[in-house]
Amino acid sequence: QVHSLQELRRSASLATKVFVQRDYSEGTTCQFQTKFPPELESRIERQLFEETVKTLNSFYAEAEKIGGSSYLEGCLACATAYFIFLCMETHYEKVLKKISKYIQEQNEKIYAPRGLLLTDPLERGMRVV
Amino acid sequence: FLLRRCPWLTKAISPAIPLYNGLVFLFVLANFSMATFMDPGVFPRADEDEDKDDDFRAPLYKNVEIKGIQVRMKWCATCHFYRPPRCSHCSVCDNCVEDFDHHCPWVNNCIGRRNYRYFFLFLLSLSTHMVGVFTFGLIFVLNHMEKLGAAHTTITMAVMCVAGLFFIPVIGLTGFHIVLVARGRTTNEQVTGKFRGGVNPFTRGCCGNVEHVLCSPLAPRRIFLFLSGSWLLFLLMMTVELLIRYVVEPKKRQAVSVKPPFLRPDLSERQITVKISDNGIQANLNRSKSKISLEGLDDKSMDMQPPLPSKGDPSKYSELTGQLGASEESGLSPKLISPPTPAMYKYRPSFSNNPKVHYHAAPEQISMQEGHSQGALIEEDDRSLDYQSEPSLDIPSYRKSSLHKTYQSSPLQIDSFTVNSRSLSLKSAGRRGTDKVPLHPIKSEGAASTPYKSIFSPNSLSNRNGSLSYDSLLNPMSPSGRKCVAHSAVGSVGYHSPYLSAKMCHLRGSELQRQPPQSFSPVLGSPAPHQRDPSPVRYDNLSKTIMASIQERKEMEEREKLLHSHPDSVFADSGVYDTPSSYSLQQVSTLSEDPRSMAMRYGSRDNLMAAASFSARNPILQSSVSSLSSAMSRAPRTSTTSLQADLANNNVQSHQALQGRVSNGSYKSPGHQVPSSPTGMPRSPSYGGPKAVSFVNTVEITEVQSVGAQRDDVQLKAPHSKINGQPKGITRLGSTSSSQGTPVSPARHANVKKVSGVGGTTYEISV
Repeated sequence: QVHSLQELRRSASLATKVFVQRDYSEGTTCQFQTKFPPELESRIERQLFEETVKTLNSFYAEAEKIGGSSYLEGCLACATAYFIFLCMETHYEKVLKKISKYIQEQNEKIYAPRGLLLTDPLERGMRVV
Repeated sequence: FLLRRCPWLTKAISPAIPLYNGLVFLFVLANFSMATFMDPGVFPRADEDEDKDDDFRAPLYKNVEIKGIQVRMKWCATCHFYRPPRCSHCSVCDNCVEDFDHHCPWVNNCIGRRNYRYFFLFLLSLSTHMVGVFTFGLIFVLNHMEKLGAAHTTITMAVMCVAGLFFIPVIGLTGFHIVLVARGRTTNEQVTGKFRGGVNPFTRGCCGNVEHVLCSPLAPRRIFLFLSGSWLLFLLMMTVELLIRYVVEPKKRQAVSVKPPFLRPDLSERQITVKISDNGIQANLNRSKSKISLEGLDDKSMDMQPPLPSKGDPSKYSELTGQLGASEESGLSPKLISPPTPAMYKYRPSFSNNPKVHYHAAPEQISMQEGHSQGALIEEDDRSLDYQSEPSLDIPSYRKSSLHKTYQSSPLQIDSFTVNSRSLSLKSAGRRGTDKVPLHPIKSEGAASTPYKSIFSPNSLSNRNGSLSYDSLLNPMSPSGRKCVAHSAVGSVGYHSPYLSAKMCHLRGSELQRQPPQSFSPVLGSPAPHQRDPSPVRYDNLSKTIMASIQERKEMEEREKLLHSHPDSVFADSGVYDTPSSYSLQQVSTLSEDPRSMAMRYGSRDNLMAAASFSARNPILQSSVSSLSSAMSRAPRTSTTSLQADLANNNVQSHQALQGRVSNGSYKSPGHQVPSSPTGMPRSPSYGGPKAVSFVNTVEITEVQSVGAQRDDVQLKAPHSKINGQPKGITRLGSTSSSQGTPVSPARHANVKKVSGVGGTTYEISV
């Protein structure tokens, strides 16, 4: 599966690309439009796609959430004159890792069998899926 | 202060004083470093495949509704996507920055989403620190009133005076930002009056805003940097530099020419990795060997990914990108983000008169990896205004038939123009001394011509520097170096723009960067929209300088006609160059069609960057352009953005230089076309100008006249807007030459158009 994923990736540049844009209705928080792109009409079920996007959105919301942990992280970083960043990865980065794992898993399970490949938005600057 | 005063103060008041001061000082320093070296949230350039449609046919603005309020997203021509809300393109850094606040000259970095907090804390801590210094100095003096004449007291008083002097503006700025944070606005929004009506969709309430600024998690880097094994050493150097800057700056308030320990890369023939660290953004630019392969780029992007998560966050020291491994041999290299473009001058009037302002945020190491057998073209930070001899690039670039060169333009730090010192390539070429400068641009030029796919990848920093492999460039360089110089000398009458070549390089670099590996089919695909009928340039509003430059340009065109002789090869080369499809397309199509229209077309997109405004002004441009014509044939139209940015910056500096450069740049881009379409020359600078301006939104092209000069048969609107709201439509419309739908699109053939840009800026554009 992984192998096929890589192959898919390699041929991705030649494939048709469908871009899912950001959804800015909530401001600058990272969300993607759940609108189903017409090009995928025949390739994948609407429900599956929307669910993927919704899950991604929830991941990003969690990453950007301002909570106690993020506050503490900031304080700690401040206290250590930001050296902590050399050693530790931030909350956001942790979530990003989760996201990429999720995407890979989705690709393997759902998209690759349909001949599709979901790219991590991080590759494109979080602007588009 | 600390040394002298503290002992006394410690005895007199409390031992905690030096400790307190030391802590505060450290805090200031830390925040300052973070603000300086952290990536503010730069957006990487969009891949070509993402904007294939958008580039040519999409409207300039796209509306999106945010919490019930309509917000307009503008198309960024440089980065090829619609700017997210609150994102703005910084002409200095030549990048779109998320939540763009402003470009801070003091830290020589953009302030954006990721480092706003550090910037804000820096301001706060600096204010506190100054207050502390002042107060303790006062206490000291008051207690030593009887010995006012003593050395200690006098020095303390001097320190106090300095602190007091700087206190006012710092406090002012701090207060300003406190208000901004409370309101939830960015400096950019405040200054442009976007929410003067009072409705800010991005605010979360006062408390929410403060919380957001201080406590929100650190946003991820969108551009991935790599740290090499030598980053520790680099950090050390940067710390030293930082200290120097911090100590020197408050006292002198002048540009500190930071000379970071410039590690000259070993100029191995084959392997020269260019490392450019700029404002925390560093990327290794590998010069790909001759051919740039699509796969190479893809691979590169693949490679880029893994390192990102692995690395914690070197942002503190702004991502030193170490040398990529041998895998880079193939020429994959992250893009270098180098902010600086001469456009910085606009923002920093204080530096304007000092072209050699070196405000290197970080030491720049440039090692170029070069697959080329020849010497190494080492592009260093492009800050140098010494780029010269664009024309000289003609020859080398011309020779390079199918070499893909990854052009690595050193990051153009606008504030730093220490390129010359860094032009390793020059050294390698053995052309030091007088030739050095001219060579520098040449190389960049030539290199730029080759498409470099490796540069641009989603992961790489899309800076203006593309990595350019100077394989062919180098070769011809040496022998033709002199020739080129001579040629350029001949060609460019009075062309002294050091920038120009640099700019060109940057433009090319940026262009290259922006070009992901592209098949050439798209290039050939869409010539149609760019048809432009060559209308005579009308310079009704042009100032004398512009007219002069126009005249020169015409002359140059004439010369180009004579020079250029291989439209076919050029054409082929254009395909090779992997320039953005739109660009290459233009070139290709234009070549086949009307050379002139081609040039025009080219200009529409790329030449816009060329800041026709500048070129118009530069009489030298004409000559230089002509000289470049032959070389230009290969000139890639890369980095128009950078060119533009450079141009913008140069505007302040030396118009001539800019012009020459611009023309060169613009000239170059249609390089292929140039020979075949000398007639198009007169226009090239023009179309470079207005379009270039539009491309560089933040470029505050204040030369209205220059705009006027740039006239493109297509709607030429030199947007002089200082805000994002550059009427991009002009350019885009121009390219399509059919749509005139942009709100500010002037009539196609209007001689003078007054365009009001966003934010109320109005400019006149002579079409």
